[in-house]
Amino acid sequence: MAEPVLLRRVGHVDPTRLEDYLAWGGFEALRRALLRRPESIVDEVKASGLVGRGGAAFPTGVKWEAVARESRTPKYVVCNADESEPGTFKDRVLMEGDPFVLVEAMAIAGHAVGAEEGYIYVRGEYIRAYERIKNAVEEATRAGFLGDHILDSDVSFHVHVYRGAGAYVCGEETALFESIEGKRGQPRQKPPFPTTHGLFGRPTVINNVETLANIPPIVLHGPEWFRSLGPEDAPGPKLYSVSGAVNAPGVYEAPMSVTLRELIEEYAGGVRNGGRVQAVLVGGAAGTFLGPKELDVPMSFSGLRKVGAALGSGAVMVIDEQVDMWEVLLRLARFFAHESCGKCYPCQLGTQRQLEIVRRMASGRIRYQDILRLRDIQATMADASICGLGQTAGNAILSGLRVMGLDVS
Amino acid sequence: MTEMTVDWQRVDEVIARWAPKGRAGLLPCLEEVQEITGWLSPEVSRRVAAGLKVPLADVFGVITFYSLLYERPVGRVIVRVCDDVSCFVNGSREVVQACRTYLGIEPGETTPDGMFTLETHPCLGRCERAPFLMVNDEEYGPVRGEDVPRILDAWKERVRSE
Ligand SMILES: Cc1cc2nc3c(=O)[nH]c(=O)nc-3n(C[C@H](O)[C@H](O)[C@H](O)COP(=O)(O)O)c2cc1C
Ligand code: SF4
Ligand code: FES
Repeated sequence: MAEPVLLRRVGHVDPTRLEDYLAWGGFEALRRALLRRPESIVDEVKASGLVGRGGAAFPTGVKWEAVARESRTPKYVVCNADESEPGTFKDRVLMEGDPFVLVEAMAIAGHAVGAEEGYIYVRGEYIRAYERIKNAVEEATRAGFLGDHILDSDVSFHVHVYRGAGAYVCGEETALFESIEGKRGQPRQKPPFPTTHGLFGRPTVINNVETLANIPPIVLHGPEWFRSLGPEDAPGPKLYSVSGAVNAPGVYEAPMSVTLRELIEEYAGGVRNGGRVQAVLVGGAAGTFLGPKELDVPMSFSGLRKVGAALGSGAVMVIDEQVDMWEVLLRLARFFAHESCGKCYPCQLGTQRQLEIVRRMASGRIRYQDILRLRDIQATMADASICGLGQTAGNAILSGLRVMGLDVS
Repeated sequence: MTEMTVDWQRVDEVIARWAPKGRAGLLPCLEEVQEITGWLSPEVSRRVAAGLKVPLADVFGVITFYSLLYERPVGRVIVRVCDDVSCFVNGSREVVQACRTYLGIEPGETTPDGMFTLETHPCLGRCERAPFLMVNDEEYGPVRGEDVPRILDAWKERVRSE
């Protein structure tokens, strides 16, 4: 396991002290970025091959370029720190352990795309992370790394810190904008996309916490170095949140060539009590269950796609043979029924029907007709829902049934 | 907390501070006000609506949308037990059960003395500490059912001495 990039400082610095961050090379990337033309930074992020770590895997440089090209101002940079995907806790670990890196990354993004204001939207239940981020913003502002004329340049950048209030759907980028704007956090119909109509209807870059944490290292060490850290089609380091029935649950950094088996056995200390894997939920509630025969899959975008799964947020929840899978499926069905925002019918109704059926099956009445109904609901939600919540709400249930041998194809 | 004991001066200070932001100040304003008032009563909502110049119906709309904003009175201590997948796999059911027994209420309810509200919660993002429990701003995990009485006893003491 090589020297970590993203977790380099976590646990080694006092996250409340700017001096510590500076002593570990902090704000050097911003200093260099300010001496360069915005386009060259965008080009470098594009060349690095970095794709978003929030779930949708969109190329970050492409997003930045689109916003940089917009002539309308003001523009915004938004950090999505709403991390609520079940089984995902990597952004929390970064924010609690290395909050200044986000501030630095956002200022670089602001310079690159021509935005002077940024928003960080932190999950409401992440109280410590919120306090650390707020402190980092205040300290950085006091020292001149944020504010008007950063480090005596002609670049200005201000950061506002918002707290969510307990709604999973607000992690969806347009729902997050609505939330900051003081509205119910319901997703918008896309297009238009955030790059043209984002926060307050303005051109906006929105990136996940982990995505942004990659920016200062890319500026310091260059795109070739970044590409060398992972397989050809999945550059850079990746954080995995591993939890459930393992001996050492935690956040682990690895190249995306790592296999699911390696994550469970080598990083997370293996299945507890020497037990065996029954199923692994990859990507959180929005993700897909894999069975014990699929553990050698590489944990990259393309690797997981080949087995019908997706990397999503990088969550890995391990279920061993002691666990009642019906109880697990019931919780997932309940989650979606509760978190559906109700804006569109396929998801509003589909998540309710799905819960009723899973409840019925969990109580022991397993009928072929019900399995067909679940398939039908999943297909309808996937095709006709407005946002990713509804589009993925049936995946975990159907793949869970498959792993349990209740084959659905 | 009853309406009578609300510290209106502090509430109005918060509203005045967010007023210049208008609607974009609504969510943080409600969050901060609730830290003072415990929940967002119709009277509190009316003041926020007037101060920020947002229609009252929209203020209600926002309050009812978010699960951390309360439109009904809740206990001074909110006990949030994670009951999602990784916590379930590590025994959260036992923790939920211990909370029900200790408090004598079901999830979603508040004790008659107004001290505790019990909630089961989707993943709280601390799965490496499963089963995980949050009591107001404090974090506990991994917890066992048998730890629950000691933790909640301490909270009772804390509230009484405030
Ligand atoms: C229901 C739902 C919840 C989401 N939650 C999050 C989240 O908590 N954090 C996050 O970064 N992205 C989340 N996303 C993805 C965002 O919409 C968006 O793709 C992401 O913030 C873009 O940043 P990135 O390109 O850096 O990944 C969610 C998407 C959906 C549909
Ligand atoms: S898919 Fe679900 S969560 Fe998304 S907009 Fe429609 S109802 Fe809301
Ligand atoms: S499942 Fe309980 S904290 Fe994540």
